[in-house]
Amino acid sequence: MKQAGVFRHAAVRLLGLIPTLLVLITIAFFLIRIAPGGPFDAEKVLPPEIRANLDANYHLDEPLLQQYFRYLGQIVTGDFGPSFQYKDWTVNELIARGFPVSATIGGLAMALAFVLGTLIGTFAALKQNSVIDYSVMGVAMLGISIPNFVVAPLLILGTAVYAGWLPAGGWDWSWQRMVLPVVTLALPVVAYIARLTRGSMIEVLHSNYIRTARAKGLPERQVIRRHAFKPAILPVISYMGPATAALITGSVVIERIYSIPGLGSYFVQGALNRDYTLVLGVVIFYGIVIVVLNFIVDLLYAWLNPRIRYDEAQ
Amino acid sequence: MNKPVLRVQDLAVTFTSYTGNLFQRRQRQLRAVDGINFELNPGETLGIVGESGSGKSTLARAILGLIAPGRGRVMWNGEELTGLDEEALRQKRKELQIVFQDPVASLDPRMTAGDIIAEPLWTFYPNMERLQVEERTRGMMKVVGLLPNQINRYPHEFSGGQCQRIGIARSLVLNPKLLICDEPVSALDVSIQAQIINLLKDLQNKLGLALIFIAHDLSVVRHISDRVMVMYMGQAMEVSDKTKLYRRPLHPYTNALMKSVPVPDPKLAAAARQDSWLTGDMPSPYRRPKGCIFHNRCPFRVKRCEADIPALRRMEDGDWVACHRAEELDLSIQVAASG
Amino acid sequence: MFARSCSVLCCVMALSACGDGQNDFGRPQGKRAQPVQLVLLEDGRPAPEVLAEEQVVYRGNGEEPETLDPHLAQGVPATRILRDLFEGLTAESAAGDLVPGAALRWNISRDARTYTFYLRRDLVWSNGDPLRADDFVYGLQRAIDPETNSSAARTLLPILNAREVLAGELPVEELGISLLDEFTMQITLTGPTPYFLGLLASPVAFPVHKGNVEALGDQFSKPGNLISNGAFVLTEWTPRVSIVLEKNPRYRQAETTLIERVVYTPTEDRAAEVKQFRSGALDWTNEVPNNQFKWLQANYPDELVTSPWMGSYFLGFNLTQEPFIDNPSLRMALILSVDRQIITEKVTQFGEKPSFALVPPGIDGYVPFSPEYADWAQEERDHEARRLYEQAGYSEENPLRVEIRYNTSDNNKKIALAVASMWKQALGVNATLVNEEFRVFLQNREQKLVTQVFSAGWISDYNDPYSFLEMFRTGHGRNDYGYSNETFDALLDEVGTERVRARRERLMFEAERVLMSDHVIIPIFTYVTKRLVNPHLKGWQNNVMDHHPTQTMFKLKSSEMSSAEKNP
Repeated sequence: MKQAGVFRHAAVRLLGLIPTLLVLITIAFFLIRIAPGGPFDAEKVLPPEIRANLDANYHLDEPLLQQYFRYLGQIVTGDFGPSFQYKDWTVNELIARGFPVSATIGGLAMALAFVLGTLIGTFAALKQNSVIDYSVMGVAMLGISIPNFVVAPLLILGTAVYAGWLPAGGWDWSWQRMVLPVVTLALPVVAYIARLTRGSMIEVLHSNYIRTARAKGLPERQVIRRHAFKPAILPVISYMGPATAALITGSVVIERIYSIPGLGSYFVQGALNRDYTLVLGVVIFYGIVIVVLNFIVDLLYAWLNPRIRYDEAQ
Repeated sequence: MNKPVLRVQDLAVTFTSYTGNLFQRRQRQLRAVDGINFELNPGETLGIVGESGSGKSTLARAILGLIAPGRGRVMWNGEELTGLDEEALRQKRKELQIVFQDPVASLDPRMTAGDIIAEPLWTFYPNMERLQVEERTRGMMKVVGLLPNQINRYPHEFSGGQCQRIGIARSLVLNPKLLICDEPVSALDVSIQAQIINLLKDLQNKLGLALIFIAHDLSVVRHISDRVMVMYMGQAMEVSDKTKLYRRPLHPYTNALMKSVPVPDPKLAAAARQDSWLTGDMPSPYRRPKGCIFHNRCPFRVKRCEADIPALRRMEDGDWVACHRAEELDLSIQVAASG
Repeated sequence: MFARSCSVLCCVMALSACGDGQNDFGRPQGKRAQPVQLVLLEDGRPAPEVLAEEQVVYRGNGEEPETLDPHLAQGVPATRILRDLFEGLTAESAAGDLVPGAALRWNISRDARTYTFYLRRDLVWSNGDPLRADDFVYGLQRAIDPETNSSAARTLLPILNAREVLAGELPVEELGISLLDEFTMQITLTGPTPYFLGLLASPVAFPVHKGNVEALGDQFSKPGNLISNGAFVLTEWTPRVSIVLEKNPRYRQAETTLIERVVYTPTEDRAAEVKQFRSGALDWTNEVPNNQFKWLQANYPDELVTSPWMGSYFLGFNLTQEPFIDNPSLRMALILSVDRQIITEKVTQFGEKPSFALVPPGIDGYVPFSPEYADWAQEERDHEARRLYEQAGYSEENPLRVEIRYNTSDNNKKIALAVASMWKQALGVNATLVNEEFRVFLQNREQKLVTQVFSAGWISDYNDPYSFLEMFRTGHGRNDYGYSNETFDALLDEVGTERVRARRERLMFEAERVLMSDHVIIPIFTYVTKRLVNPHLKGWQNNVMDHHPTQTMFKLKSSEMSSAEKNP
């Protein structure tokens, strides 16, 4: 019965995705068209004959509304079309190659940030107002304040240029090349999660049922693990939805500095080049990813907090 | 008479708080429990009464070692609890248990009733079989008046009274010898209060528990206690046999508490209030009055009360009181007048 | 508390300061060994004993190539790779000189309109198929065919009927290209085009394997599919990761090609590229960040290579709007009061050369026009500028208000700021800066409605000054200045038909002089290429086109000395 509730909830959510996506596609489609300049405008002007051929080939000579419905008809079949800029690749191919990289880096960064952040936060909360607490949280604050375009070059200088332990950038799915980008992406998130965890853990540790758990005679570790941890990470979980989406859809800065072929740069490059199909494809894909992630977070939330389980929300 | 199971000697708890900034720290000491002595016999019930802030709950937790006492000793069956390390103290939870004040908030909302009750078993008998644990849990639920088929429900699906039954069940599941009930009914409706108190009384009889029952008004304690201790600002004002205490309190503070007991008849209530001389609030715990700590609110105070601290002393009939004028005052008349 | 947050702040500032790479700790010691002394054999090839065991080159390549279809590729990153993969009728030496490629020799008709090419007889594709003249004919036809949709085809417009074929008015067979026999072909042009032979060495004129293109369609340029005729073949392409080429054993000069493998890595971020070079992952960077130029000069003097490039940076006037319409004195005043020396030496500091005209020096032997004021001291220029400024009706009380518009970039901003302050100081002009996203900026330039002074620049496609002059022609698509001068147009027309090189050069010089005397642009500097190159990598030479075929490169082995140096 519980499962049925979850499935029905999932179905409703996924159906709700369709109008959301339609609005998203429409806005994105017309927004990128409003932007001045087109994919074939460059400093070196094309002769009119060539320009006319290109426009006809990509249907840019048709009225905008007709292009819009043509595009809708095309993406219904799951085809995002060819990229204007990267002529040898379709948008589907580019996403299929870029997203796994972004998702791996982002997912690992989030996992690392979650583990480290909750550990540090819990630790600081247990030693509340001690020197350890202050120094750990001080370092965490530093992690939030230093932007990753400062951290990344420093990490490269230290580990790659001087020490030569890790490659300075590039990508081949080896762990050596993942270490630096994952760490760089994770650092501010670690700090943020640590702060969230510390705050809510302190609050939870003062709650009555924690007192009960101690009175029951549980060892302190069990008290934290079985009773305090789940409620303490609730704010972390709700933060993680959008944060994970931001991480796994690719960070342009990280991708550039570490030369990683993720999805983020395609989006920015696509927008700058007015690569209409690539931008729209990535936007729609992002939309789907974010909705799915929020849905997962909702499920997690429900698992952590029985008061809002869906089978009872009927 | 039996040998007392619990002996509390000169127990004191002090909280330190810090104010000021990083460079100028100021320490403030709060004596929450200040030199409490009492004994508890097997199967006996001691009621502890006092206004909120009088240190009752702190005393309860200090006895169980949930708070480290600053001074004094707690002897349990001749063994000193106050000296034990964390692990040894944790082992004592099998014998000493507590029921808390706010029944709903004291239960982990993420656990089912069954898990809440069974958790102490998992902790202390990790090798106990699952079926056995469940059997014992269901048994406990039945004992406290819950339906065993509610075992998989979550706390928010229960009423406050039911939650307190869960709290009692989980406190008794390890067969403790001493149960401290820290205002177990103050958050509950009056109609439910009686049920819970009766339940506790039944269980005490059935299980032969030593019971410490804490409440902030005397009427709740009356029904269940054998003896009553009245606390004020962390100190014991009076420890008396129940019947004698309710007939003739020895301490003016006890008397005042009696009068603040809610009276159903509105006329009488108005009269009681008019007559009530428990004026003013409890002084700030940081600024304890010199002499008798109660003297600034006491209508019977004399010069001496402002200078000398009255010791808790034993009266002829075996009761204890901390008042210089205990012998001269006859407070029973006052009670009669108002009642 | 204050003390604490202050120290944190200092720490952050210190970190960010070294973050941009200017203040880090110098080059890692003992990381790179020195190469051995280069020893050449009698035929000019390196002696085998000085070569490194592993002949693999790692080249940073800027942006991700947009395509490896030679007829569609336009960007520098793609064409650079294609020049390694393919060979045209003509080719370029390491120094950038034109040399025979697939064609062994050629004849040019007296009217300079008809070229006859005689191909080598032993040519094969990388799959072993024979390579003949019809492959080149097919290649050129495909490049111009409207079906192919090639933007790069614009450079092939000198071929007879190319414009008509592109417009769909004539079938592709009507192009001025004919097959004489299996090894001979002829190309007819609309007019004399001195750079045409050079054009044939560029990707848009490369042959493609007809059977392969027809069988695989738009997939033919993928690794595993692509059949080429150059020194290397495509073996791997992971977008935005790397493109790997391996030596083509069937290439006609495979015997003398020393590099076994080339790895092209896209390097979108210049600072990251330099770090990869410093960590040893690259032998060759595409560029270096401008703001690290000085630092690299001090710390990597042996690796940093700069060389003139065929590009100019200048500011343009919009001649169709106030205040510059019909106001040559004002324009001249603004041109004169810019101190180019200060801009290159103090502001941008990345090795560019101050410039007083349009065409950069070193293009195909052309010597650019140099105005009289080029030899003046800046005070003299400022003095003359003030005179002209007042003559144009402006003064301290009535200063010129003007906008400098540029596309968003640090360098454009720095230059615009410097120019604005020079005008302010010398003339009292109130200049404001406006920056715009690139395509917005381009559109505004083209519409000529809001622009006044705007940043501009030109990097040539081919080794000919005409490429620079052409865009100032009346009605040219990139004539964002609104410049129109009959004399200038007539001179360019003459350039188009002139066959004699010296006369053609003189015509172009004259055209440049006319343009500069009309005060259309404010020349600032001419570009240089700048990059880091592993000192072990030899066999390449600086050239104004910045074309560096991997084919001629080789890697020296490290000298034994270096390990001894490490432990003194």
